[in-house]
Amino acid sequence: MTRNLLNRIGQAAIVLLLAFTASFLLLQALPGDALLIKYQNPEMGLSPEQIAEIRVLYGADAPIWAQYGNTLWNFLQGSFGYSVQAGVPVNTLLATNLPPTLRLASLGLVFAILLAGLIAFAATLAPFAWLRNLLVSLPALLVSVPVFWLGIMLIQIFSFRFRLVPIINPSEFQSLILPVATLAVPITAPLAQILIRSLDEVQTQPFVAVARAKGASKLWVLWRHVLRNALLPVLTIAGVLFGELLAGAVVTETVFGINGIGRVTEQAVSNQDTAVLQAIVILAALGFVVINLLVDLAAPFIDPRLKRSIGATA
Amino acid sequence: MSSIFLPGARHLAGAALSALLLLGVSSMALRAQETPVQGGTLVYLEQQAHTNLYPPAGGFYPNSGILNQITDKLTWQNPETLENEPWLAESWEINADATEYTFKLRPGVTFSDGTPLDAAAVAKNFDTFGLGNKELGYPVSEVITNYDHSEVIDPLTVKFVFKAPAPGFLQGTSVIGSGLVSPKTLDLPFNELGDATKIIGSGPFVVESETLGQSLNLKAREDYAWGPKSFEHQGRAYLDAIQYIVTPEDSVRIGALLAGQADFIRQIQAYDEPQVEAQGYLIHSAPTRGVNNNAVFRPDNPLVADIRVRQALTAATNTDEIVKTLFSSHYPKATSVIASTALGYVDLSAKLAYDPEKAKTLLDEAGWAVGADGIREKDGVKLELSVYESLPQPQSRATFQLVSQQWAQVGVKLNVLAGDAGSATTDQLDPLKTPVRSAMVGRADPDVIKSNFYPTNRDALLQKGGLNPNAQFVDEDLNKLLLAIASEPDSAKRLELTGEAQVYLLDKAYVIPFFEEPQVFAGAPYVHGIGFDAVARPSFYNTWLSPR
Repeated sequence: MTRNLLNRIGQAAIVLLLAFTASFLLLQALPGDALLIKYQNPEMGLSPEQIAEIRVLYGADAPIWAQYGNTLWNFLQGSFGYSVQAGVPVNTLLATNLPPTLRLASLGLVFAILLAGLIAFAATLAPFAWLRNLLVSLPALLVSVPVFWLGIMLIQIFSFRFRLVPIINPSEFQSLILPVATLAVPITAPLAQILIRSLDEVQTQPFVAVARAKGASKLWVLWRHVLRNALLPVLTIAGVLFGELLAGAVVTETVFGINGIGRVTEQAVSNQDTAVLQAIVILAALGFVVINLLVDLAAPFIDPRLKRSIGATA
Repeated sequence: MSSIFLPGARHLAGAALSALLLLGVSSMALRAQETPVQGGTLVYLEQQAHTNLYPPAGGFYPNSGILNQITDKLTWQNPETLENEPWLAESWEINADATEYTFKLRPGVTFSDGTPLDAAAVAKNFDTFGLGNKELGYPVSEVITNYDHSEVIDPLTVKFVFKAPAPGFLQGTSVIGSGLVSPKTLDLPFNELGDATKIIGSGPFVVESETLGQSLNLKAREDYAWGPKSFEHQGRAYLDAIQYIVTPEDSVRIGALLAGQADFIRQIQAYDEPQVEAQGYLIHSAPTRGVNNNAVFRPDNPLVADIRVRQALTAATNTDEIVKTLFSSHYPKATSVIASTALGYVDLSAKLAYDPEKAKTLLDEAGWAVGADGIREKDGVKLELSVYESLPQPQSRATFQLVSQQWAQVGVKLNVLAGDAGSATTDQLDPLKTPVRSAMVGRADPDVIKSNFYPTNRDALLQKGGLNPNAQFVDEDLNKLLLAIASEPDSAKRLELTGEAQVYLLDKAYVIPFFEEPQVFAGAPYVHGIGFDAVARPSFYNTWLSPR
């Protein structure tokens, strides 16, 4: 087990290095860079000589391999450099923006899991075919609602029309209601879809019929026997959902005007703020790696059969 | 309420609107006579987060909206007369050839960290603005040219010496970019000035706290006692606090204002104005008094190298249609290179008349014949041009799309590009990729024309010696004229030269001016005393809130 873990950590390090290198090369290949975008802007009114001086100051005149080495060395020491656009260290930017995004994303995820579970259970237990059809097609509807539009509609209806929650200067609790709802919808859809399908599959298994024959109620069987077996596929897409959460955060944070990594990413992309983007790429890669590791570690607890196979490969 | 701009009177079509506006202004004037109430927090919604707050980088609207409240300047440019009046400088002397400026400072002024605002502090500010600081990474200010050095004569007298005449410097001391900050702020690395809490000024408000990229809280400085000399109000601001909240989405900003969640918002597009006014809220529009919103040609591109092609495109552009279709009465049609409210403006509308027939004749003469697809061609080359939309300009994309339709009627194709910032910035330096570019500069001094066109400044035409290393094109006569404006100490002669430059630019058809670009804000009816500086940056020093 320990060896397996060490193995995984080694793999993670390689993934991170590859992500770093790939993003570095891609950002270099783009036309222009953050310094050019910021200082070539006519608003600044700088002469070509002044711009050249600034490039020297930022070390942007050095050959690519030297810049790569420098950036990598700084990253290893935990220093991500400066955001050219915002004029602050990237570390400060991450420290202010990471916690709100984590809070928004985790609440969104919890809310989405609850909602997806509710839809899947209701669909499975639905007494009428038309109700079941309706519930089964609900995720398809949810997945096609653009987050951007949903956010604006929620604001227009609940904040501006009915004045239930303010958007400007809300309390801590109020500030979360609409954004969490907006973010949860696109996550709910795939979760519910997979859960419904895997509940259906497990229900056709012989042991379900056995349990039912022994006199267990439909609900009891669903809860005690089917659910646990149906959870594994859902858990596996957690990594994919992490990506969805990040993408959803970009839009949600922009529409609601709240701080977060999503909005920082959007700004950094449009200004080619390389230092910020590199830090975010590494952070996102780290997120994926950790989540996948956790999923792999958690799987044996849901399905004990997996314990043996892991033991065998380790 | 001089800040309300009434351009509609110029057009018959706008007459009805301006009458309505006048009604609005007179009722506001009545209300403004009430005694200001002290207290309250102004909730101000900004479209974008501020960036680096080093004052010379303050041209960016979100930056200037903050810097204008937390910093003071040596002089105050009266937006009505455009004269420079005493502020932190009580008086000044300028030598005959405008190479030496001596300022007597107002006594008793301090920065909010307690440091006295004395000659040494002012000298340090302008040394940094005028020369930059390579070690700490500070760039040079755009508004200060030919700066040599400063001399501290006594604790309240400071002298600035220039290498060559710098007649624009006095006005340059009144702009956002010359806001004075504590010497301690200027000791920090440039890269840390994006943190507003580190910007220590002497202004009526101080930064209390900020959540980077989301919100910023200013509070009134209790011991403030040095408003511009011509203001009756000298003491602390009426407001207790100002809260800036970044709200990127247009509909959310407007909705929040109308739902009573915010008091004042920046950036309203013309198509949103009616819904704001319909609910009794006020549109505050302020002119930027500089180079108009325009399209400039890059003569290095062979397609627009021929003056007849440029003249034809000028004649093919119907600015009346642009203003009427896309904008409102707050966007007057351009009648010269610079705005009618700018210093040295001359009315050149005759040179800008819409005449598609003339355009067609000129293009025929230049040898461009209409091809099978309706686009003109010569020697197998199509007359097809490209321009990037300019994100800071209002409805830039829609403007150029309309221009594209207008040019299509005379057989010229204009592609409106919307690329990522990196491609846009690199392509704009290449005249072959971008024969046309959008340009606009706000500054209430004749120097503004030089800022936009001179090769070592913004270099709108991409001349030799400027931003494009491969440039061949150069117009020595124009550059001589621009330099003369920037170094003519006699102000009457300077305005005359400014007029000549406008005529020259339009005679050579380098520029097609579209409209006079304002900054448009909206406020709740209970918000009074919003001030604007000469280039439309809001000042909340005199602002107060009446009971709702």
